[in-house]
Amino acid sequence: MHIQVKCSCGEGNCPEWAIVELQGVVEAQPSFENRLQSLQIGVLCRPSSQESYTFTIGYHELIGTKVSLKKPILVLKKIKLRNEDEEEDGGDVDATRVELDMIGIIRHKILFKTRPKALISSKGAQPSAKEKASASSSKTPH
Amino acid sequence: MDTILPQIGCSGGAEAVLGIQPNSSISIAYHSLFGPHNDLMLLELDEKLLPEVLHQRVTLRGQPDEDAVLCTPSKTYAVKFVGTSNSVLLIPPSDKASQGCNKENDDKMMVASVIKVVPGCMELVEVAPKVDKLKLLLSQYPYTFGEAVSEEGEKTKMGLYRWDDLVDRLQASDEELRFGLKSLSAVEIDGYWRILDDKYMNMILDMLLHDIILNDWSINALNEDEIVGVLEADGFPRNIAKHCLQVYCDKVDEGVGVSSMWKLDERRVCVHLARDILNGGKMKIEVFIEKWRRKVPDGMSANFEMLEGEVLMEKLGMESWVYLFSVSSLPSTPAERFSILFKERPKWEWKDLQPYVRNLRVPGLSSEGLLLKYTRRTQPTAESEPVFSAR
Repeated sequence: MHIQVKCSCGEGNCPEWAIVELQGVVEAQPSFENRLQSLQIGVLCRPSSQESYTFTIGYHELIGTKVSLKKPILVLKKIKLRNEDEEEDGGDVDATRVELDMIGIIRHKILFKTRPKALISSKGAQPSAKEKASASSSKTPH
Repeated sequence: MDTILPQIGCSGGAEAVLGIQPNSSISIAYHSLFGPHNDLMLLELDEKLLPEVLHQRVTLRGQPDEDAVLCTPSKTYAVKFVGTSNSVLLIPPSDKASQGCNKENDDKMMVASVIKVVPGCMELVEVAPKVDKLKLLLSQYPYTFGEAVSEEGEKTKMGLYRWDDLVDRLQASDEELRFGLKSLSAVEIDGYWRILDDKYMNMILDMLLHDIILNDWSINALNEDEIVGVLEADGFPRNIAKHCLQVYCDKVDEGVGVSSMWKLDERRVCVHLARDILNGGKMKIEVFIEKWRRKVPDGMSANFEMLEGEVLMEKLGMESWVYLFSVSSLPSTPAERFSILFKERPKWEWKDLQPYVRNLRVPGLSSEGLLLKYTRRTQPTAESEPVFSAR
């Protein structure tokens, strides 16, 4: 098999995608588990002119930095093509051809590699409604 | 409710995340289309390979039962999936449609949406092309004298391969595949890549050498048109006659408007004749050398060093015997190659071993590294020749 890697964006025009990376998993409250769409995860803040960032998820605050990737990462999308005008002699040999389309490139990520810090009641003044709204809490393994 | 449906705020996408201004915040949310999106994949690659992708010169190759490789026009890379236990939130650029925040909406926070959580990234490792299969495929039905003279219009095309068929079946870049075809002396006949049957190849070389004597041609100045004309008259198709020139000769002068000039390649001709003699089995060296010298055309001298990597010599009692053991018949993966070499002979001196390992290529491993990895080197005294055995 032979899969062509296409590039629909053309040289110099590939849109840049972003990555926000953190340790562990973001877990939504059980009531939101199956309908995460459009739900807020947290707030990303750049408190100064330095490339240092905070990411506030529920009552937790992560501290991280913007990292330039050593090697670029391509975002590829698998596209199934049906060859309609090509009658396969084999019959049910899967008649779909596949192509990969480069739709974006990633050169930077915002990396949070520290354990979360708990935010205590100073911000807790905003009541549990906020927690529900953001509906997320972070869990870090060990 | 704004925070539950953050898309109502201004949608910023990846640009907003990467371009976030000092002393400001944006909201990170799940996209309205958030999901597993298994059709979206990440591939990390070297900056220098990026232009190859942008100019659409990159393909993935492999059969369903093989691990995919990525090929540029000249190189082959293994594709490895590297998983991560971190949460990697992938944020696409914003939709052009929903962009356009005006400053008056400043109280609403800019939102960047996560389309999926990616489980890992594909990475590339340069590998040697897997071209051994090429020989296997093309050896199924070598082109024979019988086929060349048969007049049947529609021959069966089963077990024959066009260029595209080979690209589909082999995990190698175009350049590596072309090199593989060349080293097998393959030729394209009626759109199919073929290797010529040994007997047929012998026949045509014998005829060429015979014609050279008959016409009193110089082996260093062979006129392409004349040669091809004569071989055609002898019953060989034109393309096969040309192929014979390419296999056994070197072009010395590209003809512009006139016929190209070729010269016989001494080594290739002598090696071919030696192989032909030894095809029947091992032979005492004196007998072999005698036969060989007699076969070699005038103006050429057969030299035993030409047979490096083609024949091996063994001592049986007082006598030395030679037999065919051709490097081109050995696998190209180092582990398999060394295993066959040490089965053939448990101990190798460097001068014997070198012709059988010098064409092994493993990206990232030097030839010394290869020897360290697959052989045990012993040197009884500082002056003696090192001997290599299996690890």
